[in-house]
Amino acid sequence: MKKTAGYISLSSVLMIAAALAFAPAGGAQSGAMPTAKGSSIPRMPDGKPDFTGIYQWPSYMPGDQHGKGSASIFDRKYFAPLKPGGEAFLEPRTGDPRHDEPRDFCMPAGMVAGMLSANAMQFFQTKNYLTIVHEFQRMSRIIPLDGRPFRKDIEPTYYGDSVGHWEGDTLVIVSTNFKRWVLDDYFYTDPKEYRMHSDALTTTERLEWKDKDTISYLLTIDDPKIFTKPWSQLFQIKAKPEWDKVGLFEYVCEENNRCPGGKCAGN
Amino acid sequence: MQNGFIRWILLAVTLSASSAPLLAHHSFAAEYDDQKPIKVIGVITKVEWQNPHIWFYVDVKGGDGKVTNYAFSGGAPGQLMRRGIMKSSLIIGSTITVDGFKAKDGSTNAFGARVTFPDGRMVFTSNQEDQNKK
Repeated sequence: MKKTAGYISLSSVLMIAAALAFAPAGGAQSGAMPTAKGSSIPRMPDGKPDFTGIYQWPSYMPGDQHGKGSASIFDRKYFAPLKPGGEAFLEPRTGDPRHDEPRDFCMPAGMVAGMLSANAMQFFQTKNYLTIVHEFQRMSRIIPLDGRPFRKDIEPTYYGDSVGHWEGDTLVIVSTNFKRWVLDDYFYTDPKEYRMHSDALTTTERLEWKDKDTISYLLTIDDPKIFTKPWSQLFQIKAKPEWDKVGLFEYVCEENNRCPGGKCAGN
Repeated sequence: MQNGFIRWILLAVTLSASSAPLLAHHSFAAEYDDQKPIKVIGVITKVEWQNPHIWFYVDVKGGDGKVTNYAFSGGAPGQLMRRGIMKSSLIIGSTITVDGFKAKDGSTNAFGARVTFPDGRMVFTSNQEDQNKK
């Protein structure tokens, strides 16, 4: 957890500005956050920003839509236009929990919904990896930072295949090769709108220190089977160093799952 | 002890400030009906402080004297413990008031969103973080 105070040069600032200017944000995104300028941010021995720490899940920027559920959701105003046939992305719930809420059966939340679930998460960064451990379902994402390509010839997965690279002080994580799965938890707000991403999804996450307590988290959804172009929503990830005193709690979903087959029952 | 007391007060204030329904995340929409609120007073008979959701059971005496055991689901233990709500908050044998939402299937299962003790202390047993109030 040792963090090295560093110094951002003018060239780094310019690189950040360039990276943000060319971020693949299709939808309009208001309220872009100023980034940490000239001030010290945690850095690795090699000078890269260090995101090691314990955090709250990505939360809304002011003015963005809050859902009825506890997880963060996407605000529809950021959506790119749907392609013809893309309306299937907004399919209604069916009443069958196997379709409507697979997490009831301890199925994975997956990326993207898992990253937005309302639970603590911990980042562990080394030179070659960023590992994100989410308390919910103990979701673990191991993201290589060493420049390797995506894996080839593997079946699509719930969390996709992720690789990260640096653009100045911005860590850019690109993920692909997803199964069709839940995009977010908006269906708790409107059961008629159950958002499923397709297997053509590519996500791009851009992490950058905004200040010593806040990471700017720009999440881009590129799903060409559904949307006419990529779109993005900006979230913020708040550091919660006080949570580090007890750390993440265990989450073994099968321990006492009282909703087997979608039928929840006590006793 | 004083810290614990202050924590209870903070919880109570937080609850009072929140006007939104205390909806859960995982499993709520499929199983519980936010149009069917329920409020019962009874005695805790059992607590399952386990993942993925806590369950606690309450004996409720009806007007006819018949006792019904209600099963209330709540948030994940980790979410609650991070807010300082521990298993020891729900003591077997103690009398509580539970505000929640009935199961859609009409059973005595319900979602327990809030527990109030006779002295007025409240425990927020759902998994909703008041994340939007900064």
